[in-house]
Amino acid sequence: MSLPDNSRTDISSFWNDTGKTGIAAWIFSTDHKRIGLLYFYSVLGFFLTAVGLGLLLRIELMAPGRTIMGPQTYNALFTVHGVIMIFLFIIPGFPGAFGNLIMPLQIGARDVAFPRLNLFSWWLYMIGAAIILTALFTGSGPPDTGWTFYVPFSSRTGTNVSLAVFGVFIVGFSSILTGVNFVTTIHRLRAEGMTWRRLPLFVWSLYATAWVQILATPILGITLVLVIAERALGTGLFDPGRGGDPLMFQHLFWIYSHPAVYIMILPAMGVISEIIPVFSRKPVFGYKMIAFSSLAIAAAGSLVWGHHMYTSGMSDTAILVFSFLTFVVAIPSAIKVFNWVATLYKGSISLEAPMIFALSFILLFSIGGLTGLILGAAATDIHVHDTQFVVGHFHYTIFGGSGFAFFGAMHYWLPKFYGRKYAEKPALIAWGLMFVGFNITYFSMMVLGMKGMPRRYYDYLPEFAPLNLASTIGSWLLAAGLLLLMVNLFRGLFRGEPFTGNPWGGATLEWSTTTPPPTENFEEEPVVTHGPYDFKGTGIP
Amino acid sequence: MQYGSFRIRTTNRYLPAWLILLALVTGLLFLFPCRIHAHSTEQQDKASLQQVQAGVLDEHLGAKIPLDLILRDESGKPVRLGELVTVPTIILPVYYSCTNVCVYLQAKMAIALQNLGRRPVEEYRVISFSIDEFETPAMAARSKRMYLSQMKEPFPEEGWRFLTGDAAAIKKLTDSLGFQFQRQGRDFLHPVASIVVSPDGTIVRYLYGTTILPKDLALALVEAKTGIAGVSVRKLMEYCFTYDPTAKTYVFNLLRISASVVIMVAGSFLAFLFLRGRKHIQRKSREP
Repeated sequence: MSLPDNSRTDISSFWNDTGKTGIAAWIFSTDHKRIGLLYFYSVLGFFLTAVGLGLLLRIELMAPGRTIMGPQTYNALFTVHGVIMIFLFIIPGFPGAFGNLIMPLQIGARDVAFPRLNLFSWWLYMIGAAIILTALFTGSGPPDTGWTFYVPFSSRTGTNVSLAVFGVFIVGFSSILTGVNFVTTIHRLRAEGMTWRRLPLFVWSLYATAWVQILATPILGITLVLVIAERALGTGLFDPGRGGDPLMFQHLFWIYSHPAVYIMILPAMGVISEIIPVFSRKPVFGYKMIAFSSLAIAAAGSLVWGHHMYTSGMSDTAILVFSFLTFVVAIPSAIKVFNWVATLYKGSISLEAPMIFALSFILLFSIGGLTGLILGAAATDIHVHDTQFVVGHFHYTIFGGSGFAFFGAMHYWLPKFYGRKYAEKPALIAWGLMFVGFNITYFSMMVLGMKGMPRRYYDYLPEFAPLNLASTIGSWLLAAGLLLLMVNLFRGLFRGEPFTGNPWGGATLEWSTTTPPPTENFEEEPVVTHGPYDFKGTGIP
Repeated sequence: MQYGSFRIRTTNRYLPAWLILLALVTGLLFLFPCRIHAHSTEQQDKASLQQVQAGVLDEHLGAKIPLDLILRDESGKPVRLGELVTVPTIILPVYYSCTNVCVYLQAKMAIALQNLGRRPVEEYRVISFSIDEFETPAMAARSKRMYLSQMKEPFPEEGWRFLTGDAAAIKKLTDSLGFQFQRQGRDFLHPVASIVVSPDGTIVRYLYGTTILPKDLALALVEAKTGIAGVSVRKLMEYCFTYDPTAKTYVFNLLRISASVVIMVAGSFLAFLFLRGRKHIQRKSREP
């Protein structure tokens, strides 16, 4: 083994090596691991809040007519559920939490390139989040536009849209700064011998994601400023009565928001590319193609925004082109799926919690991806556009995909930072509950959409009642699984069995340093002489 | 956090500050999303409305005006249109005895020309021509004296020509411009517009109404010059401003500019990263 022997435990970990005390040791720390944990607990808090809102939405839809809330409350809740989940959980989730925690370790760096900027990103994120939350409780009520803020409604509704939009604008800046920081770090701070071809696939995926963050997020910024200008100054930019164009909003919004789904899913794919080889005890199949496909998804995914707008009134040529490009994105996505499956082939598979989440990711993401093609083809999209089918599809990709990868990453990496481990059996039971609950909840939605139930509607026809009831019961199973997962994981992290050395047998650099890692990550700068999945080269049995 | 022997190069220490500054500047750029000028004001809209009612202007963009057409100059001598249209040219279809909009149009044009910042004769020329076949070169010369003397700084006689012509020539020219008019007693119902043509006679732009902004005029002249090697500033102006046919004015193309800024900044950032490569870090020594 050519890596330095960093598995000694006599050097202090990042937990107790700090000049500051109390909360200041966290909120003013420039250590990427502490910032990563700050991000992690922040996004987790928002995630659980939005899960609560989602459960309330499902209870409301349990039966036709009013169940627990009125229509205006329902509109506000699905908007807030979407805004929090998208802008405060899943977009900052992977880069902010696991990107910060893992990426510098994986490339053998002591920290990110700009540690202070990193802290500033988190502060911007929290300020933006605070503004969004303020928007919910002040003014004339929480926004009720849906997370997409479509004009003309968003420029006319009396609810507190401007403030919420401003909050999202601030969070956008946080995302850009994280992207700049990560790109610089990956270019500049790789350890000796960490060539581009030895970069772990999670780092590759973060690299592709960071470019999307840098290039696409400014467009969200400008769009949101335009909405505020429309509301506050009456610029008429989106008002056809004054020479504006409402379709322009949709273009601008989706130019960011479609690539944004790749900010959500690409790092998740990176996590899966890390977990699968480790738990199959086999080098990843098609390393170069997986790395390339991350870049290809980021590039091609930036050109397909129009597929959200087939029914908005675009030319047939535009629809044809956007539809074609959408199908093109399926190719690199499928490359990844086939490569993961090929990695499993003849591997020595061990079904521990991270692996179970990774495997279910492949299934759920594939369902989400394939139903995405139904929406990407113009003809079939017309049938299911703006129905519950879209809601089901989206949750399969982003919750079943990114969400499950996030849980996988939690089980895979968090013990590394706490030095303690969760109990295996409850983790598997939790996964089982979530997996079953998830499919009941969201598959029902897809069927409902096929039958014609629109999304974002407060009420529905009696024939949709049985499936809606099933979906709601599914959401309870899902929530029960999630609760068990959280309790088990955090109980384990604080009071569980010790977790030292390299129990999973990973060959990437984060497993070569002590557990928990020291403040500067490595006692001695690592020199990399083998690939990230070269288990034999690392001396792992 | 203790960096120990982790030395940051001076150049890099300021990089985050620069990046934040860059982000803020980019952000500020986004804070000015409205068109740089919003002069598609009521006045202009009203003027356009009047034109529609009074006479019809059927835009013939890209078509050519007959350069071999013979008209009369201020002294009554025959002049071939092609002899005058040697540079980007602003054509004003008017009649000299008009007491209303033609006067406004030409007076406003005189003001705009003073603020244009371009050399007449060498870089552009203005041609007023009468749509009334009964008007004489003497009337044209009187109009010329009136408008040129009104200008604060001397304007070359060659830079603004006032022409007259017979009915056939007028019809040929106005037809080529898509300029339809109708005699009503002593006056005419006609559209109010300045038409910019390129040196080869191609109609490049119609500027409507009596409110003439020097910027609109300058941009139209830049467009008229296309095909002739222009200086880079002009090219940049062409890139930044596009003609909005609905508002009938030039607008600052915010989306194109901000997209270019983002791409250029990101591109140079990537180039910088690739050129600098991996940073060489002073290795920590293992403590005993």
